[in-house]
Order: sequence, then structure tokens, then C-alpha cells
Amino acid sequence: MRLLRLVVLVYLTFTGTRSLIADELPPADRAIDSVIDQLVDARIAAEKISPAPQADDATLIRRLTLDLQGRIPTTVELNEFINSKKSDKRSQLVERLMASPAFDRYQAILFDSMLNSDPGRGRSGSVRDYLTQAMKDRKPWDRIFRELMLPGDDEKTKSAGEFLRARVQDADRMTNDVSVAFFGVNVSCAQCHDHPLVRDWKQDHFFGMKSFLARTYDANGQLAERAAGLVKFKPTKGPEREAKLMFLTGAVVETDTLRELTKDEQKKEKEITEKRKKEKNAPIPKPDFSAREKLVEVALKSKEAEFFARNIVNRLWHRFLGYGLVNPLDQMHSENPASHPLLLKWLARDTAAHQYDIRRLVRGIVMSKTYSRSSQYPSEARPEDRYFAVAQLKPLTPQQLATSLKIATTDPKQYEGLKPDEFEKRIEQAEQSGRGLASLIAQPTDNFQIGVGEALLFSNGDRIMKEYLTDGGSTLLGSLKNEKDAKVAIETMIQTVFVRNASELERKSLVPYAEERKDRLPEAYKQILWAMVTCPEFRFNH
Amino acid sequence: MNRSRCNPSEHALGRRAFLGATAAIGASAFADMTGLDVLGTPALASDLKKNQKRVIMLWLAGGASQLETWDPKPGASTGGPFRAIPTDVPGVHISELMPQMAKRMKHVCIMRGLDTKNGDHGGAAKIMMRGRRDEAGLKYPDLGAVVAREMGRADSKVPDYVTFYTQTEGRGMAPGESGFLGARYAPMELTTNNVPEYIRKLETISDLDHKTRADLRDLLSKQFAKGRYSEAMGSHNEAYERVRGIMASETLFDIEKEPQKVRDRYGPTQFAQQTLIARRLVEAGVPFVRVGRAWWDSHGQNFETHQEMVPELDHVMATLIDDLKDRGMLDDVMIVTLSEFGRTPNINASLGRDHFASAWSSTITGCGIKGGSVYGKTDEKGNKVVAENVDAGSLFATIYRALGINPEKNYYVGSRPIPLVNPGVEAIEDVLA
Repeated sequence: MRLLRLVVLVYLTFTGTRSLIADELPPADRAIDSVIDQLVDARIAAEKISPAPQADDATLIRRLTLDLQGRIPTTVELNEFINSKKSDKRSQLVERLMASPAFDRYQAILFDSMLNSDPGRGRSGSVRDYLTQAMKDRKPWDRIFRELMLPGDDEKTKSAGEFLRARVQDADRMTNDVSVAFFGVNVSCAQCHDHPLVRDWKQDHFFGMKSFLARTYDANGQLAERAAGLVKFKPTKGPEREAKLMFLTGAVVETDTLRELTKDEQKKEKEITEKRKKEKNAPIPKPDFSAREKLVEVALKSKEAEFFARNIVNRLWHRFLGYGLVNPLDQMHSENPASHPLLLKWLARDTAAHQYDIRRLVRGIVMSKTYSRSSQYPSEARPEDRYFAVAQLKPLTPQQLATSLKIATTDPKQYEGLKPDEFEKRIEQAEQSGRGLASLIAQPTDNFQIGVGEALLFSNGDRIMKEYLTDGGSTLLGSLKNEKDAKVAIETMIQTVFVRNASELERKSLVPYAEERKDRLPEAYKQILWAMVTCPEFRFNH
Repeated sequence: MNRSRCNPSEHALGRRAFLGATAAIGASAFADMTGLDVLGTPALASDLKKNQKRVIMLWLAGGASQLETWDPKPGASTGGPFRAIPTDVPGVHISELMPQMAKRMKHVCIMRGLDTKNGDHGGAAKIMMRGRRDEAGLKYPDLGAVVAREMGRADSKVPDYVTFYTQTEGRGMAPGESGFLGARYAPMELTTNNVPEYIRKLETISDLDHKTRADLRDLLSKQFAKGRYSEAMGSHNEAYERVRGIMASETLFDIEKEPQKVRDRYGPTQFAQQTLIARRLVEAGVPFVRVGRAWWDSHGQNFETHQEMVPELDHVMATLIDDLKDRGMLDDVMIVTLSEFGRTPNINASLGRDHFASAWSSTITGCGIKGGSVYGKTDEKGNKVVAENVDAGSLFATIYRALGINPEKNYYVGSRPIPLVNPGVEAIEDVLA
């Protein structure tokens, strides 16, 4: 390990990338987007890379609408945005998208996937409904964390308990999932031995974290906690040890409750659970000392909170930029430094100083020029992801894909001339109608690969043809059924599906394709539309 | 200990990367739509590299009894009514319910010492399909997904991993799982009939339109790929490129295409038919096929259940061995019989046997395995393993080695190296050919 550090140090000295080593943290009162751009641009300049140009308006509104609301924009929204001459049109768009309940719903889905690797409403561990309400109520991230950890018996927060309740059978999994989701730390290696890559983490850390959580149990449908508990573990060397209540930083919470439950206490616990089987709302006694409450306390203490703050910053950064400041997201430790350490530090400080306001951070990220670069790079020498010099292609999430497919294949007139609340309602309908399809699409992960199953579904699935690529009802194909002018039809399709104007090449290739099938234009349109919605331009957020 | 992180740039630019990479295209590519080639015909058996290894797993769902199959205990209080019969391997006896296999044991290795700890259907099936217990926050790929990944080809015209699981009367106990390898290696799962979902073109579109629209898609993809790169985009294009090939492989699922004589050899049962399809699939280059036969969970009437089901297994497995041998494929195709667990030596009040994971059997036949070998010994009543104990991990390590896959090979989840089997787990050299 020491050797590795030495090598890194030598490397830094020789490459002379100054911003990596020292440089000062920008002042706290600067705007988020300007600090992001300053620090990212400095690194790009130091590496002598030329960044991709800014994305055009059409790409930008597509990206923002997908990222913030989980859908592509309608042609009405597209045209309003590209035709606007206002200098603050971007921030107005961001405000509008974030003010909508669609923002709350979609971000809740993303947070739910973050907490549960196998997400889905109604699945074990899912807290989607709780999160949607929390987003609506503008709850800050530390409050959400607290409520997920300490749901209590308040009607409003009780459902948050499902996150832990789904994991009570497996305290190791609970320990790891909590550490990964809230602190960006995967300590599972340290379960069996001291972490081989990371000097910071010993078995004491894993079992220390486990000690905070292992007292949690399920009292017939509701999360409960024991008054005492003892986690023992067998180190790779030496005799069995008893774990302390130890946070990831090594901070220890002193307590006299590190003991096995007495026979009497065990009996009592059983009685309560039995009683609750008969009386649904029979009260559950609260422990005098709650280890989970202590975990929340210590995790949010100013020094220890660095893990918590850095994690949410890195996760939201990854959500919008498609690549973390630290990668993988669950490996935030000293041996795996951030690509932009100062930026991560500044953003974490800023977020903590502003009470973990999720919206503030999201707004700051999506208003930066770093966020709005093109995903197209003009030369072969494409810079590495970690410089953020060119935008990532982000595979659509199942919800993004399904809702967008609905919007893309709907007659664009359906979204015209609507009052704001009617428009909102129609968007929500599109989301709902996409749920069935969304359940068939894989959730993107790191190193995501799309399987042939999806291609077969789109190629031969009855559902795609009947629900989306049909000319019955108020669909896009329905609206083009009698369109004799192939050029008009294709331009409409390109605008609706790709959210931009048709390219010269498309006019030259797609129009003749349709015209060669003059006797059956509606079918030609259908094949063209199929090719559009299965093409990567539609499948990715670019 | 100080393993360095996997550097993505070190991975060679494979086909996937190529597909995802910048594609320089000129207007000429758009000029003539009709000139675009249709995709080629599917791979034939003769195209396969001679040494490509494949696996057919006969999954005995619910837990088959080792005492009525591979490890009989005649005369013991736990032995039950069936006799043991000698086989073509001197000294090796199996249940009298398997007379055909008794003549073919020289190709088979019996593992009699399985001690796998878990006696719960769901959990045990996961362990026996993945070779280990999932870890907190990490879902392991199962054997099929690993073999698909190691043996499958990026541009394969056939599926990589097919699993038949139609007989379990709605019991979703053992679905295929590609774990951290992701959707790319997820199985094609047949749960209702013998034809895979979405493999057949809808009636509402002509074959020509189906092809030309795929060409249109290709055209639009290339336009978009200009100046862009992502591995996920590469996999997306590759998935669509495989569609026509996979569709053409539908005939592989059609046993009508097989001579009547061959079909008669296998027999009329669904298990027999699916095993025949499995043979057709591996012949065409599918790396891994699992055929699930259910439901062996004989808590009551164990002996009637096995009297009915074992002879079918005996016949189908013997026929499969003969068929592969006749085709010269037995050296490259491995047949594995496996369950989530075995059954208790103790016979319960309903004349049943219950879940038992402490001393049970599995077999490996063909490819890379020493035929006629027996590994593991249980005590007189079959209650415990007395020699040559095997757990799920070492069984998997043995299978990997026999297939020519290094069990210590690492996959990377983020920066973390994850070997195919847990550290310290070793293959059983004694049974490797």
C-alpha cells in the first residue's frame, strides 16, 4: 500500500497537475454551477484537452426533461424552448420542470432504485410512495435518511420503515445496504477479513456498523428495536471479538447495552409480536437506548458527516452526469480518490451548509456548463470520462424509456393547447400507461449491457405493436394515416420521437423509403417509426 | 493482496467496442436502401470451433432422492424397497430404477458426497445454481450465465443461455440469474411452452418489412454513433444485430425438424422433448441449456414418485448420452444432473423423504470428466458423508475446470476482483479427465 501511495505521489509531481494537489477551496458563497465549471474547466485546461461544445437547445431540453422528469419533451415544449429568445430560458425551464409533481415522482423512483438494487413499487424494501411524498414535501436528504432509519409509528413516516424491515432477516445485508446507500461505502469485504484494498477498513468497521443495526427486528409488520444486543465476530487472527458501536470513521458510541438479551427480554419480545398478530396496533415498547438513533446522530455530526455529504453529492452528480466524481459509487475511500477532490469537497460542504437541500444541489448541477456539453466529440481522441469534457450517453431507465415511448408515439396534438394542470395530468397518464412495459426493461447499472431479450421484445412483441406502434386512437401513426406527403410525415416523426428537426441525411434516405412504398404509406411510416424508437438516439439520454 | 484496479482501457477493443465506436459514414451509405444486405444465416454445427464446450444441465427440481438414484442403500433401514444393480463399471451400483444408465456409467462421474448445508427450496436452489451464497449487496451469476459469458460469442446467432422451466406448476423456485453480469447474460427462459417468447415474427408484418426496418434502424444508429462512444450503445446495437439470427434459431426449438426415429428414441414426454431440443441447441452452439424436470419433492409417497420419475430420467439421460456419442459430441458437451438438495435417508410417516442437504448426489458426464469415477462416500444408512466431502463451490470449480475455464479467473465489480469461485475453493482433481 505504501508503495502505491509513493507511486501516486511521484506521478502527481511529474505530471504537475496542480489543481489535483493543493489549490484552495473556492469561497462558500459562490453559486454551485460556477464552482463546478471553474474546477472542471481548470482540470480540462491542465490536461490540455479541448472540451466538446455546448449541446444545442433541442438536445438540452431533451436531456433536462429526461433527467428531471423521466420523459422526453413534447413538440410543444421543444418549440417553445428553441424559439424563445429569453436569456434566462434555461433556468426558467429548469424551474418549471422541477416545480412539477412529475419531478417528485421521478426522483423518488431514482432514490428508490438507489436504496434497493431490485426496485419496483410493491417489491420488498420499496419505499417509493414514501419518497414521492418526501420529495413533494421538499424534505432534505438528512431528514429522509433519519426517517428511513427511524420511521417511528407516525402515520406519515411509518411506511419508510419498509427499507429496513425488508432486511431484518439478514443483518449483514442491512449493514452493507445502509453503508452503500448513505455513505458510499461497501464494507462487505471487511465482513470476512480486513479490507484488502483499503487500509481504512477493518473487520471492526463492518461489525461496528452491524452493531448499530443488528438490534432491529420486525414486530409483525412494524419495525422495532431491541434495548440491547451484542455482535461477535471471529477475526482472521486471534480469538473471537465483541464489536463496539463503531461508525465508519472509527467514532465509537459508548454504551452499557452491549450484551445479549436476557431470557426474560426475549420472552417479552415474542409476546409482543404474538400480541400484534391479534391486535394490529398493539404498541411496541421503545428501547431506552436506541442504537439506530445513535447511528443517525453520529453519521450527521459535523466531522463524521463527511461520508454522508460526499455520498449524496457523488450520487446526484452521477445521476446527472452519468459518471461519478468517485467511481464506483460504493467505493468512496482514501485509496480511490475523486477525480476532482476540491469540487467534491466544496459541493459536500455546500450541501451540508444548506441543510442537505436536494433541489438546490440538483439545480446547481444542471445549470452548469459541464452538464450541458454535447455528447458528440468532434475528433477521434475522445477524452476519458473522468474529465467531464464531453457528455456521457446515459441508457434510459425503464421508466424513462416507457414514458418516453408513450409520448413519442402519441399524436403530438394531444399535448397542444392544454392548460398547465391538464398537461400535467396527461404526462402522468403517459407514465402510468408505461408501467407494464417498464417492468420488462432492465435497470441500468455500471457497465450496463443491453440484452438480446429487449431487442426481441421490441422486434416481435405484441405489446409494442398494439400499445405504441398502432394507428388506432390518438397515436402518432393514427395522425399520419392520411398524410400523403412523406416529407411532412417524416419531419413530424423526427420532431416527436427525436425531439429535433430532421437532418439532411434523414430527408434523403427516409423520404425515398416511404415514397417507394406509396401504395402502403401507413405501413412505411410504421417501419420508419419502429426504426426510430429502437435506435440508440431514442434509447439513450445523450 | 495489492491487486491493482482493472483499467478499462486495457480491455481489448472487441467487437462490442467496435460497434459502439465512432462510425464514420458518408452519404453514400444512405443512398441506396435496397442494396443493404440481409443478415446471414444462423451458425451451423460444422461452423463451431471443435473445442467449444457446452453444458446441458438436467435440473431435478424439488430435490430428487439420491437413494433411489445414484447412491442406493439396499438392506439398510433407510434403503427403501428398491434394489441396487451392478453397472458397467465394476464395483459401482446404482438404483434398479436406472437399468439403462447402469450400462453407461463408464461415461459418468457420480459425486456422492455433496454436503451443501441448505435445505430450503429457494435458498438451496440459489446456492446450487450459483455455487455459493449471495453476499450482502452482491448477486452472483449462476452457472448458465458464467458459461454463457465464457463460451458465448458476442455476435452469436443463437441464444447463449436457455432454460426450460415449464413443469413446476407455478413454483418459481429456481429462475435463472445473471447476477452482476447483467441483462446481457440473462437466460432465455421458457416457462409456458417450448417456443421462446418474442422469437417469432408477428403475423402483422412481412418478413421483408421486418428486415428492411432493421436496416433502417442500422442506418439511423450509424448516423447517431458519429462522434459518440459507449459500451452500452455497442451492446444495444449488437442485441439488435442478433435478432434475426436468434429468430432463425426458432427451428432449433421445433422437434418436428428432427427425424421421427430420433424423436422416438427420446420418447414422448415433455422432459424428453425438451432434452432433445437441448441437444439441438448445443449442437448449434448454445453454450448452456438447462432442462428442468419437476416436481421431485416427495414428502409423501417417495417411492411411488421415484418409481414414476426415475425411469424417465434414466431413459432420457441414457438416450442423450448415446445421441451425443453418436454425433461425436460427448467430448465437448457436459451433462450435469443437479437438484437443490437430496432427500432424507429417514422415511417419514407418510412414506416420504424430506429435504436433505448433508449427503446427496449429483453426476457429471462427458466433456473433461473421468467417466466411471465415483467421488464421495456416505455411511451405511446414508446419513452423512464419510469421505470425499463436496460442497457447491468445489462442485462448480470442478465443472469449470472440466470445461477449460479457470475457476480463479476474476470478474470485476467496480474495482473489486471477484473470482468465479470463492477464494480457497478448489476443483476435485481426481475426477478430471
